[in-house]
Amino acid sequence: MLALDIADLTMRFTGLDAPVLSIERLHLPAGGQLAVTGASGSGKSTLVNAVTGLETVTNGTIRWGETDIARLAVSRRDAFRAAHIGLVMQDFHLFPGLSALENVVLPVRLSRRLRPAERERALELLDTVGIARHDQTVETLSRGEMQRVAVARAVLARPGVIVADEPTASLDAGAGKGIADLLVQLAEAEGASLLVVTHDPVLMERLGRRIELAGGRIIEDRMEARAA
Amino acid sequence: MIRFILADLRRYKAGALAVIVLIALSVALSVTVTLQERAVRLGSARAADKFDLLVGAAGSETQLALSAVFLQPSPLPLMSGGVLAKLSKDPRVEFAAPVGFGDSADGHPVVGTTTPLVSALSPVLSEGRLFARLGDAVVGSDVPKRLGTQIKPMHGTAEEGGHTHTQIAYRVTGRMAATGTAWDRAILVPIRAVWQLHGMTPREEHDPMEEATEADDHVHDQEAHVESDAPVDEHFDADTPGVPAVLVKPKTVADAYRLRQDYRGETTLAVFPGEVLTRLYATLGDARSLLLAIATGTQAIVAAAVLLVAIMHIGTRQRQIGALRAFGAPRRSIVAIVSGELFVLFLTGFGLGILIGQIAARLISAALTATTAVRMPVEFAREDIFLAAWFVALMMVIAIVPALFSLRTSPARALRV
Repeated sequence: MLALDIADLTMRFTGLDAPVLSIERLHLPAGGQLAVTGASGSGKSTLVNAVTGLETVTNGTIRWGETDIARLAVSRRDAFRAAHIGLVMQDFHLFPGLSALENVVLPVRLSRRLRPAERERALELLDTVGIARHDQTVETLSRGEMQRVAVARAVLARPGVIVADEPTASLDAGAGKGIADLLVQLAEAEGASLLVVTHDPVLMERLGRRIELAGGRIIEDRMEARAA
Repeated sequence: MIRFILADLRRYKAGALAVIVLIALSVALSVTVTLQERAVRLGSARAADKFDLLVGAAGSETQLALSAVFLQPSPLPLMSGGVLAKLSKDPRVEFAAPVGFGDSADGHPVVGTTTPLVSALSPVLSEGRLFARLGDAVVGSDVPKRLGTQIKPMHGTAEEGGHTHTQIAYRVTGRMAATGTAWDRAILVPIRAVWQLHGMTPREEHDPMEEATEADDHVHDQEAHVESDAPVDEHFDADTPGVPAVLVKPKTVADAYRLRQDYRGETTLAVFPGEVLTRLYATLGDARSLLLAIATGTQAIVAAAVLLVAIMHIGTRQRQIGALRAFGAPRRSIVAIVSGELFVLFLTGFGLGILIGQIAARLISAALTATTAVRMPVEFAREDIFLAAWFVALMMVIAIVPALFSLRTSPARALRV
């Protein structure tokens, strides 16, 4: 379980005068849940890339627990993400030709030998997310099922935080709701913080807190009345 | 990781196949050129091995060497038989054997010579015995004639419209062991039989009357009676008829050089066939350099093409690489996957190319052997290992460098592609 502390974060893209992201302070307590929303171009994706270390940060600090990932070298950042951040993306990024199970364990397998316990856990997670046929190749799954596999992959390494970037945007309403439920349920069960970028009201109202971005700044930060 | 690479290869089957074919063909070209040139060089060097020194009438050295070593049909000028007699008695000479070409039978050259040459070519006959009478013949290992078969020689070759000699039919009495030279296709007969067949008899036996009668009796006025049953006589004197070439086996290397010196004159020519062939190889070597230059050029083009493939391979996987990094795959495994996959393709193409090149060289050698009977050994040499190692190293660099470059972009940007 990791707390997030952002301070004086400024992200600029070459050729643009205004910063695409400018956040003076943002705190997410350990185990907290946060929805990030905003129009397209408001800096949501940049925020996700910054907090996950996918993009290099030059100004400001992004602290996960005790680690300021803005100070880490690229390879250390990649390693930190692998160990502590579970990523779920809009386009799933599953690898065709591999089975559901193989996709879930791929990140682990690429860095070291898979332990039997991890394999067991992967199988359990697939059951939890509702994928019964573990050896089915991913391209034959429905989109909703693909995202379920992606969720299972994100939590396999028991990350301190789950970061999801528009996880339901490319799914129909039914599948989207299923994924929303899963994310919240798994984050709580695994004791992970949860940060979700989304436009999906169903997903937003499942999370305790919501910030809205515009022009790279936080224009609204409020706690939602949690839906029952 | 292997599963991942295989899954990826399955997705890009056609492209992977194209890369393999591209590399295989270019490698095959270089391999064929290298192996074939070596095969021809080794094969003909071995073919010339048994021919230490050749003495012939003044003329073309190359023609003399090629005629004797490869039994190429060509009209060589005759040299006085006295030279043969003189050489036979020379103390520096182990044996001097006349070589009389010109006739053929069923496409096989019929060569008139003496028993020492047969014994030099094939110390032990594979079957039968040496010729003892003028009508006997010893065939090369590739001549499909059984012992006891009759051979009717033809003047010149069938293609040249030669006529059949009717005065004699040689009887096969022996077969030589395989020598790996053009002589495996030859039919060896006593030189005196050839002389008699062509009406070339020693002067003292030349009775003008007799000659006149013969001219009337025979269809071919040049041809005379051959005493098929007469014993082989291998003593030569000043009156011996002319021969196109004499093969000399000197006793020592020094003798060889002295003999060559002595018989290089206005009327005779003495050559080391090996040396003549070496000179030919120099020419052949130029051709090889040209071919190799073409092959190298092809490889440069292929290397460029492969680099393009590598860059495109990485380009199409930019998102995939970004995703792998995003989900926590360490950089080393990403480099291993991306360049490993390319390297597998390259190596497959390389292996296939060596195989194809070797097969091609073997086919060409087999075709050459079928027409010349000279064995062309297709074999790899030690220096080939360095070439191969160099190529593999180059492929590794081409496979790895673009992968390393791809890691310079941030995963976020890679995912946006």
